[in-house]
Amino acid sequence: MKANARSFFRELYDSRNVLLQLVSQQLILRYRRTALGYLWTLINPLLMMSVMALVFATLFKADLKTFAVFLFAGMIPWNFFSAVVTQCGASFINNEGLIKKIYLPKVIFPLSITFALLIDSALSFLALITIIIVIGGSLSWAVLFIPIAYILLFFFALGIGLITSVATVFFRDLQHVILIAMQGLFFLTPILYKHDALAGKVAWLIGLNPIVPFIELFRAPLYQSSLPNVSIIVQGLLLSLSAMSIGALVFLRHEKTIVFRL
Amino acid sequence: MSRIRVENLSIKFRIYHDRSPSLKGYFADIFKRQSRNAYSDFWAVKDVSFEIGAGDRVGVIGHNGAGKSTLLKALCRVYESSDGKIAVDGRIAPLLEIGAGFHPEFTGRENIYLNGAILGYSKQQLSLIEPEVITFAELEEFIDTPVKYYSTGMYMRLAFSLATAMHPDILVLDEIFAGGDASFLAKARARMHALIDKANIMIMVSHDHELVKSLCNRVIWMDHGKVVADGAPEDIVERYLTGKLNG
Repeated sequence: MKANARSFFRELYDSRNVLLQLVSQQLILRYRRTALGYLWTLINPLLMMSVMALVFATLFKADLKTFAVFLFAGMIPWNFFSAVVTQCGASFINNEGLIKKIYLPKVIFPLSITFALLIDSALSFLALITIIIVIGGSLSWAVLFIPIAYILLFFFALGIGLITSVATVFFRDLQHVILIAMQGLFFLTPILYKHDALAGKVAWLIGLNPIVPFIELFRAPLYQSSLPNVSIIVQGLLLSLSAMSIGALVFLRHEKTIVFRL
Repeated sequence: MSRIRVENLSIKFRIYHDRSPSLKGYFADIFKRQSRNAYSDFWAVKDVSFEIGAGDRVGVIGHNGAGKSTLLKALCRVYESSDGKIAVDGRIAPLLEIGAGFHPEFTGRENIYLNGAILGYSKQQLSLIEPEVITFAELEEFIDTPVKYYSTGMYMRLAFSLATAMHPDILVLDEIFAGGDASFLAKARARMHALIDKANIMIMVSHDHELVKSLCNRVIWMDHGKVVADGAPEDIVERYLTGKLNG
């Protein structure tokens, strides 16, 4: 097992060049020959969030500025997570041609997607910070916690992404199930509303929702200008550790059969 | 010294009769065990053993579907063996399908780096061979154009030039002889021969028996996933063509 792990990382290191190429392919390609190019990656989610902020601030009769910061801080980790899970789900199927022709360590496909999305997300986070400052919001030193929140979220999302990447190869229906599940999960996650707002019979659903701590990890520094609770940090840490272990387990177990099922 | 040792190699494919397995089907199967025959096993390569040493130029021949390409892909680690062992000493070059991993939106130059990375070249190596690849492919004018605007010939020329730019210890070829016009074809053939000459071991799959006879010093005949004959090219090709197993 130990030797296995070593050869796994050795191989991954040897393929860093391909990984880099795949990440840049994912980042550059979408916006080839568009006038604004990569800027679309930033404009798209920011516009979406602005519309949502406008609608829901009016609906909830909240102060637009405060609500916008509240919403943005929840949307950034959510968008990253949901994109990783859905796109990893298609990662092997979309690269079928390559996988069947040339040997590459399979993990680079979900990994390159997760890295590219992390870069996208970090940049839209920077854009968000700029917007907060422009609209006159205040930032505290607690913002420095965000990189740690990103690291925890990265491994959590990657772990789940590894599972979906393998699972969709064996059950193609899952691609569609995941899309619906992510939409449902969005409303069951306190992004549009505060954690305690969904009371009553469905409250336990939020208690079980593993993404909630990660939303809090981002929201505390950005919205409440304070460091997250230690208990939230520990929850996030445990969740990303378990997601990563389960993801790695599922992945390593099925890695070699993937090519036969594509 | 390069060496390939294959021991009792078997590769199994699972063939699904009607459709890709669905979640619904999976759960349905849990409840009713009798509907298990949704797939059957197919042994593309069955119990194959051989050893290839330095200096060997091996041609693999056989009917379509005999398991030749599957065998080569197993040597290149695309397929994991279901049974048996493969041991490869030496750097093996996956020249199975040229142009695999080309991205149509990328320019020729970008594809050199993308596809080169996939073929296992480092960035430094790639920047060293880049000018030579472009010159050989005769694409100086179009190298910064997305390859989706290339003609088939241009595309093939670039893919071929890149795939053959490095000299691996073990060369694995699956029916690749570049397309292009007559003058390029002659050039490509010379480059291919140089590549084969420098390789420590060469294995090729081809239906061009004259080519096999001229390039190889050993021929393996496969049929239905098994090795049925292994020996001198003239002899084996002759027997294969007359359809006789025992001389």
